Amino acid sequence: MIGKPLLSVDNLGVGFKTDAGVVQAVTDVSFEIYPGEVLAVVGESGSGKSVTALALMRLHPGNTETTGDVMFDGMDILNLTEPQMRSIRGRDIAMIFQDPMTAMNPVFSVGEQIVEAIRVHNDISKKAAWSRAVDLLQLVGVPEPKQRASQYPHEYSGGMRQRAMIAMAISNDPKLLIADEPTTALDVTVQAQVMEVLHDVQEATGSAMMLITHDLGLVAGSADRVQVMYASRLMETGSVDEIFYESRNPYTRALLASIPDLETTRERLDPIPGNPPSLLRPPSGCAFRPRCSMAADVCSESVPELITIEGPHASRCHRIAEIEAEVAAMA
Amino acid sequence: MSEIKVPGGEDRLDEAVPVYVPGEVTGFSHADEIEGLTDDARSFSSLAWTRFRRHRLALLGGVGLVLIIALFVFGPMVSEYTFDERNVIDRLQGPSKEHWFGTDEIGRDLFVRTAQGGRYSLRIGVIAAVSATIFGTLLGSIAAYFGSWIDGLISQVINMVLIVPALLILSVFALYFGRSANQLALVLAALLWTRIARVVRGVVLSIKEQEYIMAARAAGASHMRIILRHVLPNVVGPIVVEVTLLLGTVIVLESTLSFLGLGVQPPNASLGTLVANAKGSIDDDPIRVLTPGMFIVAIVLCVNFLGDGLRDALDPRSKNEKG
Repeated sequence: MIGKPLLSVDNLGVGFKTDAGVVQAVTDVSFEIYPGEVLAVVGESGSGKSVTALALMRLHPGNTETTGDVMFDGMDILNLTEPQMRSIRGRDIAMIFQDPMTAMNPVFSVGEQIVEAIRVHNDISKKAAWSRAVDLLQLVGVPEPKQRASQYPHEYSGGMRQRAMIAMAISNDPKLLIADEPTTALDVTVQAQVMEVLHDVQEATGSAMMLITHDLGLVAGSADRVQVMYASRLMETGSVDEIFYESRNPYTRALLASIPDLETTRERLDPIPGNPPSLLRPPSGCAFRPRCSMAADVCSESVPELITIEGPHASRCHRIAEIEAEVAAMA
Repeated sequence: MSEIKVPGGEDRLDEAVPVYVPGEVTGFSHADEIEGLTDDARSFSSLAWTRFRRHRLALLGGVGLVLIIALFVFGPMVSEYTFDERNVIDRLQGPSKEHWFGTDEIGRDLFVRTAQGGRYSLRIGVIAAVSATIFGTLLGSIAAYFGSWIDGLISQVINMVLIVPALLILSVFALYFGRSANQLALVLAALLWTRIARVVRGVVLSIKEQEYIMAARAAGASHMRIILRHVLPNVVGPIVVEVTLLLGTVIVLESTLSFLGLGVQPPNASLGTLVANAKGSIDDDPIRVLTPGMFIVAIVLCVNFLGDGLRDALDPRSKNEKG
């Protein structure tokens, strides 16, 4: 990657204070997003991927402790005042939510909601904003945008609603789009359409995108770089090819092994045994150790560092040398 | 930007990517994926009116209320009597062509007095209900939306007001301060806003967890904007229902006060004083109690029906197709 990063996250930590203690949802997460780039963040539920995204927009509830540094376009996000932050939300960083069924206000028409998103940040007339809203709906492939703009969310299908959410998110030409599992609530055929719209829109506007998902298939088709999270930490990060074909992390490899493959016939999928650990009482050493087929004594002694392998490719594992040897033997 | 070959991405490269100019939008051709389409793009108010009209009872309530108010306003104009004109010779008459609702114990025309009293009762009811609603909605939504100590404080105030016996406060107040309609209405509002506040607080608590509130925050909306634009419109239904019930309560409470002699002072009248004055002769002359009493019941019923219809009409999710 060339040029200056649009977003650079350094040592981000997010903890939630609960009655049972502090839940450390994000630990020591550092990454960059460059202008125009699509970064996919992959992980199981509770791995900290959504929490990371919300921390970038400072949308966490009051019982949250956020540490580290987040620099966005020259601004120190974690130290901005709330009004400054409000002017960034929706204008510079926009978010697309998981469930289009609940992310729209049921009592306003879709057009009105896009108009509002525009007018929060722009001093333009309702009429001008409305015509822009219709244009945006057309851009995201909502048929008959003039009529559909004055309809209510419940009159839209799930896929159409997610398109409208995308239209709303790009209404202010954001520099960074955060898509938090944008297709999880949709059925498979609609998922492909929505991803296509998202991709087209991202390319057309030139904005960077952080795509949060647990669907590795989605990642392969739409991301430039991938970042795998597990139990609040980054496990591996690299280009799509590096992650899919040259993974140096047992967790990533186990994840890939659990995806169904249409080309090779397999009797059974290989699920990862066990469950993700409790973030209240994480296991000693590497958090993946209890479920890892390669776990050794060293793994319980300390948390492995994120070790750079080549260029952007880095993996957090004590046993990289063994993986390298295994890969070399296979070749 | 990136040289990486994206698996599964090849087929996309064939498609021409439209050039995007901010503000000047070009369309992608996804029109072939049309799902259900309707041409129905009518305005919110016209849809609401359609839904309201279909609600028979609400229509009945609305028409009934208009008729009652018209009777109260125009009735005394066509009558040749005034509300405090005594005519002792004609006292305690039953309904007749001369005196439509009869006369009271000092010969005043009861039709004119009922109209006058009804206006008075309605005025108190509307002022009290509206001010209680504004105040209760404001405090209830602030409490629920911001939570933590703000919620704690407002909830405690609500509880304190709730345990105060309304009649006691009202009677003390009536003794020390005036008994004008406006004053009475404001005291009633000060005692009754808690009912609205509790309902609003409950509904807002559930609405603020909805994802569209988070989405609004993510779009950069301020707290005030979120409360006014996103939270309150979703609370309108429950508020409307509560207000209509409240209006009924206010009218009944005012009638109670007047019945006890603490409300309206003679020679003025309210529906409550009319019932109170006639109560002694309920055995041999029930009409004099029943007429103002029936008006109280009719007003409260009409308002409740009306509220029911309004709630349905203002909810865009309720079906338009169904009859």
